[in-house]
Amino acid sequence: MSKKILTVDDSKTIRMIIQRAFRAHDCAFCEAGNGEEGLAAAAREKPDLIILDITMPVMDGITMLTKLRQDPELKVTPVIMLSAESGRDSIAKIAQLGISDYLIKPFKEEQLLEKAGKVIPLTLKAAA
Amino acid sequence: MPAPAPAPPAADLAKRFGFDPVSESVMRLTQLVARRDAVAGDIAKIISQDKSLTRRLLRTANPRAESEADYGITTVEAGLARIGMNWVLLLAMADPVMRAVHKTFATMCAIDLKQLTVNSMVPFEGEHVLGEVRFSGRATGLVHLRMLPAAATLIAARLLSLPPEELGSPSEVDDVIGELSNIVAGNFKSNLCDAKLDCKLSPPNITRTTDFKLQKPSGNVVERAGFHAPELDLFVDISVNPWSE
Repeated sequence: MSKKILTVDDSKTIRMIIQRAFRAHDCAFCEAGNGEEGLAAAAREKPDLIILDITMPVMDGITMLTKLRQDPELKVTPVIMLSAESGRDSIAKIAQLGISDYLIKPFKEEQLLEKAGKVIPLTLKAAA
Repeated sequence: MPAPAPAPPAADLAKRFGFDPVSESVMRLTQLVARRDAVAGDIAKIISQDKSLTRRLLRTANPRAESEADYGITTVEAGLARIGMNWVLLLAMADPVMRAVHKTFATMCAIDLKQLTVNSMVPFEGEHVLGEVRFSGRATGLVHLRMLPAAATLIAARLLSLPPEELGSPSEVDDVIGELSNIVAGNFKSNLCDAKLDCKLSPPNITRTTDFKLQKPSGNVVERAGFHAPELDLFVDISVNPWSE
């Protein structure tokens, strides 16, 4: 069954790279450019996985994650953080909010696939 | 309401999420310097135990020397006295950042950059692309990535896996350069935060300029590095005031 992934990142480039990483897999994507849009998209789309950046305009990823974990309907949605932020204190605080994994940019597509595959079952698209 | 669980130690996080370990000597040095009341002898001891830091310190303290044989300053203590404490923080952090530049371009764009001495590179003439990310908080400063427009297009094409002629508007190129600037600056900012110099990044700003001059506000120290790959020259500038508060 197709898995729905929400990517929340202010960079169009990163959102495109993420989609490209999953091109061989049966996944549907929705996108948001900041945390506020991300929360709205999460409530609307009920994704199986959220891939979330930290530094974004309007609402950052930490605020979005905090609000997500306070929402009864979304609090168990798996989140993989994908950020250039690698400060150990910051990561420790984020880990306490409840995340499935953390990937530091720069990243390889295979690394993202490997981490996502541990959180949701990924199946290859059927050959045309 | 139960008290929140204590934060897991850094080593546990690195294991859980598969991070590269941070150099112990760089971590101890940055934390020591960031305290501002650090004793020069303690700093000299840490630098002396790390061959790479010692080499960089002596190279910085002997800017006109063409080889180690020409060094007038040959001890860590004398080098520290020459360059000053502000420089030590940048000395410790610049190396990881330059490695981050190399890793970012290799991982995201399959471009193998070679670091060159800045003096051996030809300064840009005419229009070039400037990616800038500022940081502010206990430390303030900025990170610049600069390249010619053709190089920016090549980088964007490699990252997006497209032929250069298939790239859309200049904003597509700008978004790529902005993201790469953000990744490099994010690495530097994280090192500052690990040294307890908490700060926040601004969103990346991309401009095209013909007249670039790096501003050096009072109290800031500046490091410039040059990188080269086929059809691509790249300058990286870091300007930081570690004690802005």
